[in-house]
Amino acid sequence: MTKKRKHQEDFQKVKLKVGKKKPRLENATDTNFKTKAIHLPEQLKEDGILPTNNRKLNIKDLLSQMHHYSAGVKQSALLGLKELLSQYPFIIDAHLSNILSEVAAVFTDKDSGVRIAAIRLLQFLAPKVRTEQIAPFFPLVSAHLSSAMTHISEGIQEDSLKILDILLEEYPGLLTNRCSILLKNFVELISHQQLSKKLKSREKISWMLSVNPNRRVTSQQWRLSVLVRFKKFLQALVDGSSGLEEDEGVQEQKENSQSMRNSVCISWKEHASNQQHIQLYENGGSQPRINSSFRLRSLVNVADSVEKGLSSAENLKGFIEIIIPLLIECWVEASPAQLAAPVLGNLLEPESQQLMQQVLSIIYLLWKLTKQHDETHKMETWLRMNYLADFKHHFMRHFPYSLQETIKHRKRDSYKSTKYCMTSSNSIDHLLLNLTLCDIMVSLATASTLQMDSDWLEMIRKFVTETLQYGCRLNCKQLNRLLGVTWRLMQIQQNKVATETLIKAVYVLYQQRNLLFPVRMLLLKFFSRVYEKEELSTQRIRSRSKVLTRWLTGLPQQLALLGSRNPELSNQLIETIHSAASRSNKELLESFQATASRIYDPLDGTLVLLPAESQQRLVQLVYFLPYLPTSLLSSLSRCCVMGRMSSDLAATLIGILHVRSSFAAWKCQVQDNSVNDVDYFSFLFSTLIGFSREELTSLQSIRGKPHISQSQLSPVRLYLTDLDQFLHHWAVTEVVCHSLSTIPSRSQCFDILQNGICKYLVGLAVIPDSTAGSILCAMSKLLDQACILSENLHKFLASCCYSLLYFLLTLDKEDAEHLQKRDTLWGSCISVLALVPRVLRLMLQSLQVSRVSREELPIIGQLLRLLMQHGQLRSHMVTSELLVQQIVKDIMTLKSGEVQEQWLTDLQYCFNIYLAAQPQGPSAISTGY
Amino acid sequence: MAAPMEVALVTDAAGPLCNCAVWELRSGSALPGYRGGNSGARGLALLGGEHLLGAQLGKGYIGVWELQRKDQLQQKIICPGLVTCLTASPNGLYILAGIAESIYLWEVSSGNLLAILNRHYQDVTCLCFTDDSSHFVSGGKDCLGLVWNLYSTLQAEPSEIPDPRHVWSRHSLPITDLCCGFGGPLARVATSSLDQTVKLWEISSGELLLSVLFDMGIMAVALDLSEYHMFCGGMDGSIFQVDLCAWPVQRDRAFQAERENGKVFRGHRNQVTCLSISTDGSLLLSGSHDETVRLWDVQSKQCLRTVNHKGPVTNAFIALAPANMFNADSKPAVPLPKFSKHLHGTESSDDQGADGVTLRLGIDHQRAGESYLEKADRLYSQMCSTREKNLMGDQEQLKIQVTELQDEVSALRKINKNLFDFSARLITKSAK
Repeated sequence: MTKKRKHQEDFQKVKLKVGKKKPRLENATDTNFKTKAIHLPEQLKEDGILPTNNRKLNIKDLLSQMHHYSAGVKQSALLGLKELLSQYPFIIDAHLSNILSEVAAVFTDKDSGVRIAAIRLLQFLAPKVRTEQIAPFFPLVSAHLSSAMTHISEGIQEDSLKILDILLEEYPGLLTNRCSILLKNFVELISHQQLSKKLKSREKISWMLSVNPNRRVTSQQWRLSVLVRFKKFLQALVDGSSGLEEDEGVQEQKENSQSMRNSVCISWKEHASNQQHIQLYENGGSQPRINSSFRLRSLVNVADSVEKGLSSAENLKGFIEIIIPLLIECWVEASPAQLAAPVLGNLLEPESQQLMQQVLSIIYLLWKLTKQHDETHKMETWLRMNYLADFKHHFMRHFPYSLQETIKHRKRDSYKSTKYCMTSSNSIDHLLLNLTLCDIMVSLATASTLQMDSDWLEMIRKFVTETLQYGCRLNCKQLNRLLGVTWRLMQIQQNKVATETLIKAVYVLYQQRNLLFPVRMLLLKFFSRVYEKEELSTQRIRSRSKVLTRWLTGLPQQLALLGSRNPELSNQLIETIHSAASRSNKELLESFQATASRIYDPLDGTLVLLPAESQQRLVQLVYFLPYLPTSLLSSLSRCCVMGRMSSDLAATLIGILHVRSSFAAWKCQVQDNSVNDVDYFSFLFSTLIGFSREELTSLQSIRGKPHISQSQLSPVRLYLTDLDQFLHHWAVTEVVCHSLSTIPSRSQCFDILQNGICKYLVGLAVIPDSTAGSILCAMSKLLDQACILSENLHKFLASCCYSLLYFLLTLDKEDAEHLQKRDTLWGSCISVLALVPRVLRLMLQSLQVSRVSREELPIIGQLLRLLMQHGQLRSHMVTSELLVQQIVKDIMTLKSGEVQEQWLTDLQYCFNIYLAAQPQGPSAISTGY
Repeated sequence: MAAPMEVALVTDAAGPLCNCAVWELRSGSALPGYRGGNSGARGLALLGGEHLLGAQLGKGYIGVWELQRKDQLQQKIICPGLVTCLTASPNGLYILAGIAESIYLWEVSSGNLLAILNRHYQDVTCLCFTDDSSHFVSGGKDCLGLVWNLYSTLQAEPSEIPDPRHVWSRHSLPITDLCCGFGGPLARVATSSLDQTVKLWEISSGELLLSVLFDMGIMAVALDLSEYHMFCGGMDGSIFQVDLCAWPVQRDRAFQAERENGKVFRGHRNQVTCLSISTDGSLLLSGSHDETVRLWDVQSKQCLRTVNHKGPVTNAFIALAPANMFNADSKPAVPLPKFSKHLHGTESSDDQGADGVTLRLGIDHQRAGESYLEKADRLYSQMCSTREKNLMGDQEQLKIQVTELQDEVSALRKINKNLFDFSARLITKSAK
């Protein structure tokens, strides 16, 4: 039954009626949804699958496309490669060898578009690849480069120069390693044309002129562009091979720095505290050190550079023999003689001039290269023999080039207004041209050949002097070369008349007011070099250049005027003055003496304005001053105490003055001591006091708590100095005390000090705490059995002591600034009290308790307790026991009515322990309480 | 005496009575000193183990003692000015003296003044030879240190001033002391200066090796023989020890103050003027302006002995005791000649006769020479005696001797003739 019913349920009939909605079927599909497309632009790529560029090409595809026959495909492959590499820079590292080999291969492609794309890629690539990375592939690259350079097609040749530009920019060192091949290529690039000219003699030139006049222009331009690259290459060669070789001009300092490199500089303090160790001998320790400066190179390079490069003198000679005739021909073509002919277009002018410039600078660089060899002299004579005549004929004929050219420019301006006219920039170019020429020519002359060369040397000299005299607008680089030429000229012609005019010309320039800083620096260096040279030679011939002397004597004044405006320049000035002063140059010393008061002025002198290193040199200069007058010493002492010099430097200064004084020398030695003993003492004394008289008198009027510490029992009030000032003063004090203590007659020295104190300090109501401390310190250091103190001084010292002790005991615990003074001041007080019992006695006598306010009583109690506890003072306290006893008694009677405080019991206890334990008369007190 | 004995030679600026005190280094027992005069700073030198030279303080001459005669000066070398420093070459052949800005070079054997070197711009303060006498170094108040090659200075033409091998110009205040290490031309030189630095240089390359900056001017410097340490005497009397060979050793740094004391000798109250180290590097002798000489133990930095003097100490150095010092009977092998005041080259016009080279043999050679003469004498006398004996004896021997001699003469003649023929033949042949 149930089964049946169930069955019926399963197959129930669904009744459908009209007008009603049809019920939903259970198995109906719901189509009520919307789709959206998921767009996958590229497949998920992981291991093994390489990144691609926009055109879905990966690196392998691109590289393989480079072998395609179609130029368009290659070009697009190069473009794609660039894009890919800029997106994924890491590919560069992974595929550098492939990329480079493919790119280098298309340097010689026939299609210019491909080449341009390759150049762009290289341009993009070069800054991202370091020299070490590219070094292993460089032979390949340079091989392709040289094949491009020697290619028959002109377009490829031209583009090869662009590649060279890029490589020169980024990898000059690698390129110069392969110089033998490249140099040959360069020669071929221009001499190909020259050769063809020679072979077919006139025909080619005439043909070019007749068929297409523009063609010749192109050939000159071409030559120019080759020469520009050649010059760059040589420049790289010179830079690379000559680390130490400096421009002959002015910079000679480099050589010193060279030797400085491996010296060890340490300071004693660090060495003493074991922070710095000296290992002087390279393999002196248990382990040998391995830092060799030699590097292994690949065999290819070694073979190349050793055999054929310009490193050996012979090869260089051979190369010069090839290149210089070519250069001279280039020059002849561009020389003004031809330009002067009316046939040629004026537009050529700047180009030809550039060409000339390139020619000259290439020769200049070659000369520089020759100087790196050992047998410089031999080389120079060889050059002179072969080329002097040619050079004289071609180069020197129209020597000062600037004048002619500018006139021409002006003419052209007048009737033909071309926009090419760049007179301003050109005039500088003229100068450079002339200077390079001077450099070349001058290096051919020597002192021995003076007679023969006098004609053209005279021209050069004239040019140099004139340029110098009107040279206020020269820039640094030009001036450097100009001075180089000047220097060489002076070397060649050592008689006084010739050099004097040159120096005078430089001096005229030097005297110009508004020179740029580097220019002035150059001039200064030049002069100091000339001076040094003269110093060497004048030992034989006692004749000095007047201009140089004038320059030298002007230096101290310039230093004083310069102030703090340009520390670097001041430093150079100081250095020169120092070297002249140490050689006891009379004129300089005189003028230095005259300006010394301004340089060492404590308020606005050069000494206090300059940074610390220059200050040190200036302080050292004090040693060389021939005479140290009183006024100078007093300003020096102000400099010492004012804190604008570090305390170390002040110590140095005091040491130097000590050496200059008569106390450091041997007694019997007859010496004209420039420092008067009296002056020396007053210097030391005022440095010890640390305050000038005006400052002290102005202090007298200060009242009030934060600055002044005052007790009722002492007439001396203390002015509280800043911590910085205090520490500086204390450091100086210690040095002064030491130099006072080294003076042989101790008692006389002490008398002088005593007189000084009595005269200047006794009677003052307010004294700075540092001064009081340093006086006590000096007293304790100098005091001797032989010395007798005056009564005044005793009293003064006693009151100073009490004031200081009172100040120390009332110090606020939180007052961090003054707390640091505590130990030093306490030490100096105690040492004086221990040394001179009478001062202790006087101090105790002055403690009249009855006059004292209640607040000061505990302090007196504490003081007494401390004094009694102190080991050194105990015996003195015992001898003046009665006094102490009296004071204690007085305190007791004053405080008798009240509750006994802690300090009072402490005092009592101490008194009983230390003093009452003595046999004589302790009972009276102990019974009293 | 089996072990080499070291003595300290000390002079001070006060005592004409006892110019140079001598005491034995280890025991401190005083030996008789040298009397007369008063030696100036850096003005004491031992010459060849036979003489002692002392440049006089404030006077223009150099006093000379023979080492065994201590009571008085034996000779005075008159100089054209005050001698600021003096040294003798270790081989005893040359004397150098700094007089104002010039360095004077004498040859000991002849007394000639060989060279006057004018390259300093101010007074020369110190001079020092290398241990093989091939180079010398001079330091001056013009802050320059100059290294000279002795032989190239001697070879230079009289008209031109010889150039120093190196010029060291890195000091900025006067050089106060020099010390030359071991190793001849490869040695290292320490220079101290008022500019608060001590610098160590190399003679071979001329380069600066090391510069130590102190906080006071340094007046004296010394290197020990093995160059492990450099000792620098300061203006305030401290002596600093700089370790030249130290590996950084890891130690806890709790006691820094104490550690610093481990490198400073404290005791002098005034500037240190001279330093010297014993050959084994264990003892340090220092003289000071505070009129004391102190002997220190280098290892423990303790003062072993303090000797008080009556004036500031001008010289104090340790030397291996020369034998002549103790043997009163000894004599210098060569008496010192008279030292000339004028340059050798210019003076030669006066006495053309003495143009030849004077040769003085050294000690060994000379002794050999004397004994040779003696031997020759003895042999001669022996021969004579035999001759006499023979004369006294039989005549036959004489005859035999005569015939032998005649034979010999004829043989010689023969040889001579042969020689003559041979050479005549040669000459005639060549003429053809």
